[in-house]
Amino acid sequence: MSEMNKENILEVRHIHKRFTSKGITVKAVTDVSFNVKPGETIGIVGESGCGKTTLGRCIVRAYEASEGEVWYRTEAGEEVDFLKVDNKKMKSIRKEIQMIFQDPYSSLDPRMTVLDIIKEPLKANYPEMSKDEMDQRAKEMAVKVGLNPMYLMRYPHAFSGGQRQRIGIARALVVRPQIIVCDEAVSALDVSIQAQVINLLRDLQKEFGLTYLFISHDLSVVEHISDKVGVMYLGQMVEFCETEKLYSKPMHPYTEALLSAVPVADSTFKMERIPLQGEIPNPANPPSGCFFHERCRYCTGRCITDAPTLKQMPDGRLCACHRAEELDLHGFDLEAMAKAAEK
Amino acid sequence: MDKDNILEVKDLRVNIHMMEGELTAVRGVNFEIKKGETLGLVGESGCGKSLTCKAILAINDKKCEAKGSIKFNSDESGEVEILDLNPKGEEIRSIRGKQISMIFQEPMVAFSPMYTIGNQINECTRLHITKDKKKSKEISMAVMKKVGIANVEKRYNQYPHEFSGGMLQRALIAMALVCNPKMLIADEPTTALDVTIQAQILELMKSLQKDFNTAILFITHDLGVVAKMCDRVAVMYLGKIVESADTETIYANPQHPYTKGLIGSVHKIGGNREDRLFSIEGTVPLAMNLPVQCGFYDRCTVAIDGLCNKAEPELVEIEPGHKVACFACNHEGCKAECERARKEIAEREERERKEAELAAQEAALGKNKKKLFGRRA
Repeated sequence: MSEMNKENILEVRHIHKRFTSKGITVKAVTDVSFNVKPGETIGIVGESGCGKTTLGRCIVRAYEASEGEVWYRTEAGEEVDFLKVDNKKMKSIRKEIQMIFQDPYSSLDPRMTVLDIIKEPLKANYPEMSKDEMDQRAKEMAVKVGLNPMYLMRYPHAFSGGQRQRIGIARALVVRPQIIVCDEAVSALDVSIQAQVINLLRDLQKEFGLTYLFISHDLSVVEHISDKVGVMYLGQMVEFCETEKLYSKPMHPYTEALLSAVPVADSTFKMERIPLQGEIPNPANPPSGCFFHERCRYCTGRCITDAPTLKQMPDGRLCACHRAEELDLHGFDLEAMAKAAEK
Repeated sequence: MDKDNILEVKDLRVNIHMMEGELTAVRGVNFEIKKGETLGLVGESGCGKSLTCKAILAINDKKCEAKGSIKFNSDESGEVEILDLNPKGEEIRSIRGKQISMIFQEPMVAFSPMYTIGNQINECTRLHITKDKKKSKEISMAVMKKVGIANVEKRYNQYPHEFSGGMLQRALIAMALVCNPKMLIADEPTTALDVTIQAQILELMKSLQKDFNTAILFITHDLGVVAKMCDRVAVMYLGKIVESADTETIYANPQHPYTKGLIGSVHKIGGNREDRLFSIEGTVPLAMNLPVQCGFYDRCTVAIDGLCNKAEPELVEIEPGHKVACFACNHEGCKAECERARKEIAEREERERKEAELAAQEAALGKNKKKLFGRRA
């Protein structure tokens, strides 16, 4: 089991995360697996409460997963299970997987100067580094993400949302990680600032050969930045494949419904919306069979009793639906939209 | 006031008194809304969208002072100038909630956690429609059903924390619609929601608009939502409307560099993914002690030096229904505006030069006086 595929940098295998409170167990993430190649960007999408943030936090080990393995190839070429390595080992590889947090307003300590914030990961991961070198590296990184080095002695409150997000990015990058988990990194920002930060993330990826795990609920942004996309519903991964394939021809009914709800910034664009009945079920008490069957318009008797597993489809994608192969679902007409976009 | 219009806003200015001084958040906004129409007000955070709509309801903070004119065409009392009314008086209260109502941004914050949802919707009915408790409960429940809340009997007696975000937003819409308002102000009604719920809520608002012929002022920063919902769009930047046109024109033929930038910075699904997104550099400046220049000058890529940094463009109509405030776009109307601005700049510089001369003369005089009369002068 432990052997990793040579091409992959990260293999997430059967991750489960359960939260128990007052005797009630909530399955936040159920049996999620996927592989990541170096330099790729993986998008994870889904509605709020579907477990995408929990998954990201499990992978960086901010939460301890209840079950499962995260195999990771270290910079030195070693294969380790990131979730099981001991503390000593963890110290040496923790810096290679970093995270950018959702809310740029609450993820920065208001009582530390920006320089201290960016320096903190260095202090934790390189205790032998001299103070001057730390300052030097923090300043370099600040310039890279577009912060004025003059302002580094200020406190976070003096910065706008976009600049704060840049501080968060600099903090994640200063230890030169291989993988960055971006948890809704641009969701709290205005569109024009969003574009700046996305471009920055792209440039940094090219420069440092970074691998991104991009968690977001904004399907247009994910389409722009990701090579592969995973769709999550109620803690499960329901579909995982290349971006074009997913957007042009979804195979899971939930993906289809999600795509049809995306507002497109083009007044001539018309697409029939597939209504989803009801709301996301309570994860403490999920429905029988396929978790999606109550809201699915293609539901049959089998869906109510049998839970589908994530299977490989003929075109190589992963999809968890009994009827995936017989259904003919609609996505975006990407070619027509590309033409419209060119105009 | 035009008979078709339900609301006319003219030269609206909102000042905020702060410790550091006066902040002009809204700097002369003009627009009108026809009956049954949806106008989208688009802009980044801090551009004054929310303050504009709060001024329409006269619910601005004490520190805010609104000037200008907001005329509302009320069926009951005819034309009303909202800014002349006492914000706590009888008259505005008969308009607020009944004829103009508002859907607030965050449904989780807009409801009081201490009262049941039914109780809070009822407040509106009892105030404006009927004093009879039974009847008002019936009306409230009917509206809750209409906005798609299932199991109304049970939901009516539940508290806000028992609702999910989408349901709470529906309840908020029910509260806004319970008196069949002539006009609805929706301040980012779907920003806090997931795409699937967002699509549901938008469709709900559209169908209700058809039923009641309500005019909607739709405030948002999401251009996808605008494309879906609005008949006309006004783009706001730094407290001013910089471009307004019908929705198709805005997307097909944007003129102001800010509008272009906003549209360009949204990735379009299907577009080339290798392309960088167009991004507007810099951030919105703080609206305090602004110099006389185009508000967008610092971030603009096509700014004309000597013109854009010395005068502020006014909104001119370049095509029927399409207004732009920019010196740099090549239209007849804009050229005339450039001429006007150039004249103004020349006059101002002339005046300043004269004033400087005068000051210099006076200073020289003062020096002489000092010489003559010593320190006492």
